[in-house]
Amino acid sequence: MLEIRNLKKSYDGVTILHDINLSIEDGEIVSILGPSGCGKTTLLNLILGLTDADEGEILFQGKNVLDIPMEARGFNIVFQDYALFPNLNAYKNITYGLKNKPDISTKQEVEDMIDLLGLREHLDKKIEQLSGGQKQRVALARTMVMKPKILLLDEPLSALDGVIKESIKDKIKQIAREFKLTTIIVTHDPEEALTLSDKVLIVNNGTISQFGAPDEIIQTPDNEFVKEFILNQLVIKKNNIFTLFSQGMEPRVAM
Amino acid sequence: MSTQRKEKEIKGIFVVVIALFPVFLLIPILRLLVKSFEEQGGISLANYVEVLTSHGFMSAFAHSLIISSVSAVLTTILAFLLAYTIHYTNIPKAYKGFIRKAAVVPMLLPTITYGFAIIYSFGKQGLITQLLGRRLFEIYGFNGLLLGYVIYTLPISFLLVSNTMQYIDKKFTVVSRIMGDRPLTTFASTVVRPLLGTLAASFVQCFFLCFTDYGIPASVGGEYDVVATVLYNEMLGSIPNFNTGSAVAMLMLIPSVVTIALLHYLEKYNIRYNKISNIEIRKNAPRDIIFGGLSGLILLAVLSVFFVIFAVPMVENWPYQMNFTWEHVQAVFADRSLISVYENSLLVAVLTALLGSLLTYGAALTTARSRLPGKVKQVIENISLITNTIPGMVIGIAYMLIFSGTPLQNTLAIIIVCNVIHFFSTPYLMIKNSLEKMNASWETTAMLMGDTWLKTIVRVVTPNAMGTILEVFSYYFVNAMVTVSAVIFIAGARTMVITTKIKELQYYTKFNEIFVLSLLILYTNADDEAIEAMKSTLDENGYSGQYIVQSFGTSELGGKLLAEGTNIEADLVTMSSFYLDSAQEQQNMFKDLTFDPHALEEYPSSTRQSPPRRERSFSTQR
Repeated sequence: MLEIRNLKKSYDGVTILHDINLSIEDGEIVSILGPSGCGKTTLLNLILGLTDADEGEILFQGKNVLDIPMEARGFNIVFQDYALFPNLNAYKNITYGLKNKPDISTKQEVEDMIDLLGLREHLDKKIEQLSGGQKQRVALARTMVMKPKILLLDEPLSALDGVIKESIKDKIKQIAREFKLTTIIVTHDPEEALTLSDKVLIVNNGTISQFGAPDEIIQTPDNEFVKEFILNQLVIKKNNIFTLFSQGMEPRVAM
Repeated sequence: MSTQRKEKEIKGIFVVVIALFPVFLLIPILRLLVKSFEEQGGISLANYVEVLTSHGFMSAFAHSLIISSVSAVLTTILAFLLAYTIHYTNIPKAYKGFIRKAAVVPMLLPTITYGFAIIYSFGKQGLITQLLGRRLFEIYGFNGLLLGYVIYTLPISFLLVSNTMQYIDKKFTVVSRIMGDRPLTTFASTVVRPLLGTLAASFVQCFFLCFTDYGIPASVGGEYDVVATVLYNEMLGSIPNFNTGSAVAMLMLIPSVVTIALLHYLEKYNIRYNKISNIEIRKNAPRDIIFGGLSGLILLAVLSVFFVIFAVPMVENWPYQMNFTWEHVQAVFADRSLISVYENSLLVAVLTALLGSLLTYGAALTTARSRLPGKVKQVIENISLITNTIPGMVIGIAYMLIFSGTPLQNTLAIIIVCNVIHFFSTPYLMIKNSLEKMNASWETTAMLMGDTWLKTIVRVVTPNAMGTILEVFSYYFVNAMVTVSAVIFIAGARTMVITTKIKELQYYTKFNEIFVLSLLILYTNADDEAIEAMKSTLDENGYSGQYIVQSFGTSELGGKLLAEGTNIEADLVTMSSFYLDSAQEQQNMFKDLTFDPHALEEYPSSTRQSPPRRERSFSTQR
């Protein structure tokens, strides 16, 4: 279990996060949702260990990890721009960490991860030859090989389009289920957050606006912000789609 | 409570970088500043008053301003023409490629050879003069300087203008035409306007280079004195005066500081598109022919001047016996002392390139890829700016003042350090730009995979920066090979490099050797007959291989005697008594040798201003 207690952070006198409290169960997928500048990336960096907290605690399995340096915490992240190393091919990127910790994954585990993410045919390619979705999957594989205790994903879908987005969503869910891996995702897209995660943490102005399962948020929004900025967007989207389909044109897709 | 990585390595690099500059930049320059105020043991403005009220300096200063401005304008126009031909005409691709390459060729040769190349092209017996049957213009003075400066600055100006031009959004041209602009308006508003910042920068940059160059005026300046020659004469000339010389050096800094400040300011006006927009260039055969032709003419003029550099050493006795021979080239390879000069140059260039790349890479890592506070990074930025501002001659003089008498004097190490510092700015900016463009999350990602910072630098950052590092390496290498302005003040007898050797040979008008020497920078050189007699005598008496003979111009040696005093590298000096007497008076450095010289005749004077000469030998006291 990951527990955050009274977490505070400010930069140059400007408070970014006020008094954050929440707890996340093992194996849960949690999305942190909010407008840009709300503090969601800061929260992610605090969990990862990239930034120091001013006050509070982050407990993982009951132990405070704030004093543990980033690389010793055992959490791992896939950045929005993937941060793949262009001087190495896809396979060498995936196995990068094994050069430092050869025993962390067996050969078989690496092969399984490659197959799970459908990367078999792309292993010898240079990074620049990969599409956005393929890059995302290589970065995901590279991180998973390190067997993180918590997987952090920074805007994993924002650089991808349409159909690819849905397939990556499925892969993320599959990985979280298969490895019982606590996964924390930062996003600014309500649809993404509510369709991908077990729980959604809505952050606004450095405080938690609401934390709950997707249906709770839809059914019982806690405040005006959630209604206005989160649900409203979804309603507009829903109406647009309904309008499209209600013109008497049933889509010709096999159900 | 901090879990941040300590960045120990990067702090270490920072300390090394920061420690170098006070010793090898700040203190020498401050010493120069102090020297410029020293007067008979006291501090006063007397040196400045003396310099500023002397007719010689003021006219040289005016000359420098005029010739540098005219050269800069002309160069920028020519560079614009070349760049326009490449980016806005439909001439064949191969021809465009040729223009690109030919335009930067002069960069590979030291400026000091440009002058000789001009003499051999446009002088009385020059190749072009012979071909045309008459002399086009008087080469010594304004015309020669102008020609030399334009050749010297054209590559730099071309690179600047062409680079910006390729990023100009060519779609504006289409829009302008659709809106019904007339061709001239289209040209002015979509080509010239976006380039204004760069054109101004090119002007300023060329001005700075001309103003501070010593190589060209040293060979074709004639009676047209510029600041660089005044400075050289004050420091190493017939009657050296380090105090006024320092004042001249400080005054030389002023226009440098102004031009660099201007460049910094103009930076803001540079357009920064990252995308190169390619559109089809409108068919226009007359335009292509005119621009293609003009560019061809410009490059032909530049390259024909350099042709003599290759031709002269291959000819028996230019221009009287024009038959082909390898004799001069072979003579070069047969002469130990010239081979060693060449080896020195290579060694200096390679080590400069290695150390320079390492230093600039380290400095750029701290500014581009560390989380050190902004103020700390600003220190490095400022250092880069300062090194860019200080002309090579000023650094060289400052080094001569501060390192004479230290173990560093007359070592290759001092030349290497001087080059590394002098050329720091451009390579540093090159690497910094490339490091800044790299993904900011690499280090974090790699650390999560168990890397240390150093490991990430080795495994990820360096391989991805390799292209730029190699560019930096060759930048340092080429510049170390061709520079003369700073090195001329600090090269000793054992540490002569090609460019200082050229300067030395100039006094014996050994043009064949000069050309072969400069070929070595692309090949190698030959030898001195004036000293042959001394050498053969020494050799006959069993001293073969136990001595080094270094020849100087009279005024250089005079300057060196007074500057270095008992620290001089030489054990034996032969020199006009005028200098020896003043040096003895000031430094008490000589022991008298009594012997009867049996002089057959007086030597002819080899410099313009020569005091009364009687050859006398002295052994230096150690």
